[in-house]
Amino acid sequence: MKNTIYRISFLAAVLALPLGLMAQNAAAPVNQKFWENTIGSMTVLGGAIVIVGAMLVVVRLLSIIVKMDELRILKEKGVEEVVETYRQPQESWWSRFMKTATKAVPVSQEKDIDLGHDYDGIRELDNKLPPWWLWMFYISIIFSIIYWTLFHITGSAPGMHQEYEQDMKKANTAIAAYMAKQAEQVDENNVAMLEDPQEIELGKSIFNTSCTPCHGTMGEGNSIGPNLTDEYWLHGGGIKNVFSTIKYGVIEKGMQSWKENLRATDMQRVASYILTLQGTNPPGAKDPQGDLWKPEQDAAQPENTGEKTGDTGHVFPGDNASNLAGK
Amino acid sequence: MSQVEKFHYDNAIVKKFAYATLLWGVVGMTVGLLIALQLYIPALNFEVPWLTFGRLRPLHTNAVIFAFVGNGIYMGVYYSLQRLLKARMFSDLLSNIHFWGWQAIIVAAALTLPLGLTSSGEYAELIWPIDIAIALVWVIFGINMFGTILKRREEHLYVAIWFYIATWITVALLHIVRNISIPTSMTHAYGVFAGVQEALVQWWYGHNAVAFFLTTPYLGLMYYYLPKAANRPVYSYRLSIIHFWALIFIYIWAGPHHLLYTSLPEWAQSLGMLFSLMLIAPSWGGMLNGLLTLRGAWDRVREDPILKFMVVAVTAYGMSTFEGPMMSIKSWNAVTHYSDWTIGHVHVGALGWNGMLTFGVIYWLIPRIFNTKLYSIKQANVHFWLGTLGIIFYAIPMYWSAVVQNVMWRAFTPDGFLVYPNFLETVTQIIPMYAIRSLGGLLFLAGVVLGVYNVWKTIQTGNLVANEAAEAPPRPAAAVAEDKSHWHRWIERRPIQLLVASFVLVAIGGLVEYLPMAFIDENVPKIETVTPYTPLELQGRDIYVREGCLGCHSQMVRPLRFETERYGEYSKSGEFVYDRPFLWGSKRTGPDLAREGVGKLKKSDSWHYNHMLNPRNVYEQSIMPAYPWLITDDLDISTTASKIKVLRQLGTPYQEGYEEIANEDLAKQAGKIAASLRADGIEQEGLENKEIVALIAYLQRLGVDISALPQAEK
Repeated sequence: MKNTIYRISFLAAVLALPLGLMAQNAAAPVNQKFWENTIGSMTVLGGAIVIVGAMLVVVRLLSIIVKMDELRILKEKGVEEVVETYRQPQESWWSRFMKTATKAVPVSQEKDIDLGHDYDGIRELDNKLPPWWLWMFYISIIFSIIYWTLFHITGSAPGMHQEYEQDMKKANTAIAAYMAKQAEQVDENNVAMLEDPQEIELGKSIFNTSCTPCHGTMGEGNSIGPNLTDEYWLHGGGIKNVFSTIKYGVIEKGMQSWKENLRATDMQRVASYILTLQGTNPPGAKDPQGDLWKPEQDAAQPENTGEKTGDTGHVFPGDNASNLAGK
Repeated sequence: MSQVEKFHYDNAIVKKFAYATLLWGVVGMTVGLLIALQLYIPALNFEVPWLTFGRLRPLHTNAVIFAFVGNGIYMGVYYSLQRLLKARMFSDLLSNIHFWGWQAIIVAAALTLPLGLTSSGEYAELIWPIDIAIALVWVIFGINMFGTILKRREEHLYVAIWFYIATWITVALLHIVRNISIPTSMTHAYGVFAGVQEALVQWWYGHNAVAFFLTTPYLGLMYYYLPKAANRPVYSYRLSIIHFWALIFIYIWAGPHHLLYTSLPEWAQSLGMLFSLMLIAPSWGGMLNGLLTLRGAWDRVREDPILKFMVVAVTAYGMSTFEGPMMSIKSWNAVTHYSDWTIGHVHVGALGWNGMLTFGVIYWLIPRIFNTKLYSIKQANVHFWLGTLGIIFYAIPMYWSAVVQNVMWRAFTPDGFLVYPNFLETVTQIIPMYAIRSLGGLLFLAGVVLGVYNVWKTIQTGNLVANEAAEAPPRPAAAVAEDKSHWHRWIERRPIQLLVASFVLVAIGGLVEYLPMAFIDENVPKIETVTPYTPLELQGRDIYVREGCLGCHSQMVRPLRFETERYGEYSKSGEFVYDRPFLWGSKRTGPDLAREGVGKLKKSDSWHYNHMLNPRNVYEQSIMPAYPWLITDDLDISTTASKIKVLRQLGTPYQEGYEEIANEDLAKQAGKIAASLRADGIEQEGLENKEIVALIAYLQRLGVDISALPQAEK
């Protein structure tokens, strides 16, 4: 009787495994965040296994308590013979479980199942297929049939493109909600030079990770990008133009667009830092390129704005990525 | 009763293959160590073309798989086959042609791969003349093996031989189909499959190279050497039968698990994932039969280094055949794919399963064919511990690195920006892991070198028994000996039927997955703006292939937010219809390049010029090798015409006669790029004739076609 309980609870635990995996797949579309999607669901799965294990232990402990109580009652009644039988070493549930799960014939009795094959001295035994192994095989097959049915016959589980679209939608909603709580955004029309040394320092660190490959460590320019320390500008000087050039790039000239990599305040910081380099005349400075920019022109509106390309800031690739594969 | 026949086993051929196994093992792993070091010490590329990572990586994989494990298979098969069949090899001449032919192929591979002669499919990189040689030598091996089987004295075929037969027929099928191509020259060819179809065929091949070159023959070896070394009966005959047939049938379907979340149609991805999951039990059947055979011999495992090697090998097999299916679960694959997890996984398999089993077999077999004792048990024990520690020091940093990479690749700020938009930041973080990994490799290699020394000392104390005397009664006539004790005994007496049954079973999976892909157009929807490469881009692409760029750079953006935000629009199957070879890659040591020519990733021509000249001119911490020869070497345009012609034969819509004028277009485009470089102040004589210009043309093309689609059509 107890044996059956163990068997059923173990089977339930094993059966829960593919369900957990399915849950994980089903959970994916709603949320693609790394921890929540994969490791998170793995943790839930692991937690479920631990809980089932803990329940097994509790059941085991309860049965011990019951047995001890029986023992006490029998002792009080003085039925020495019965007590004796209880003292006999009993086979543990684990070894009984192992027997049902493996059905292995003990080494001492293996002669009974020797098939009599002899290949260069190698003999073969006729042990049964380990039942736990067979269960595992059956479960993997049943899981596969269910998965295939859900994903490719009934279509009730989302495909990877649907998952992606849901995911992008969710992310964009979250970003929009976050942005709504933020102060007014900096753009090329309202950007102003930052004076705070701390802000300039932040701009410098961004410059060092993102800009030095093409403009040199001191903004002196190199064979890729122009000198940023002189008064000559290819796409206009002054904070508004510099901000705008960083934001939208000048793709045909090789200047990247940074609006998808840097937030507006960061572009403001780096633009401000760049303008502090004016007149530093670093060693190895590249020859001037572009037109002379006079400070009084600063008030003018930037030459390069997103309106030309219809861009209005952060672009979410998901917005225009409804897939071709679906057509 | 019939008389006992006397004959001799051929041990000389076993000795040759054993020596070759050791030699190529040391070579292959040394190259592996070098490329592991190059990953954090770029100076070790020496700015020499044939020593750069991209060219040496395929040399490492080919040397370890086909030279080290390949010779290990032949060593183990030639020894065990003769004894299991009670017969000498069918033909000594064929044995020797097989041996020398295979070594010649390895040498040819070791010369051509560093020269940049490659067809780029992973583990199928060798150029077409070598592919033909491989097919011929493989057929010779097959004739020799079947000749021996047919003249056997043992009536039934033992389970090891079932595995040898399935290996032979499947590898032949895989190798031939994967490498069908049309040559453009003696050293270059374009494959008949392109794009998505090629990806499917590649991973049908690539995955089953693991299955039928690294797994099934080694299971065969395990079934002979483990019971011999432990002197214990095989645990379960029934398990052998079920796991053998299930394994070969299911394995062949699993290839698409290398292509999850790619442009491969989703039904094929699901088949790959599900058959991988169903593969756990058949794979574990082999592990169980191995480990349970050791029942009653575990006390000896503590003392006998040979058994230790085998136990770790079988355990590593069990671990990697569980890990593999877990990595095939789509959502977990989204994490492990392109990361170092895959590298850790394959090395648990290759170092643990193949490496450890090979050395267990060598330590068991060398003293026997030299009629002596192993020189030093102690050294073998040290080798065992170096090997085991080596695997641990290799695998753990790779798993850790994969976690770090994923956390960084996927990190977003609340306002929707990537926290680490510069891919390089995610590379510099894992440099310490690369260093520890190379230490693991060094430990493993040190063990191997010690093993070679031990073997060398052993053979000095003995003499080769080149022809070992044996005797056995002849095989009884079939009619006399019908053994009806088990239904499976029927096929064990019929090697041809066994061969045919194996062939049919392995053919099913491949056909079901490939045929719909080839004949149902919906699987690869056409994209109007995708056009063939220009002649200059085509030449640039072949340079990209030659330098092995795909070893570190994928060209496949998956439909996952953290990828499309980093790289741009996810890849569509229709983009690749003119891609021969397809270059999706399977590892991102550097960033994906599928959208390199468009959007926020686009760089100027001069950026590429400077970056290829020396990546550290652009990013101080970059670990990419420098390619100064691309700047100085002239592009070979004599091949343009034959390439265009072959591509047209294969279906690329170049106009009839275009090959005659292709080089004019090439020169025009090269002139434009050279002009843009000059405009940025790069002064160089004959700039428009250099290889760099072609490569820049190709890189600037990446992603352009799909971006040209009007928004409404997307």
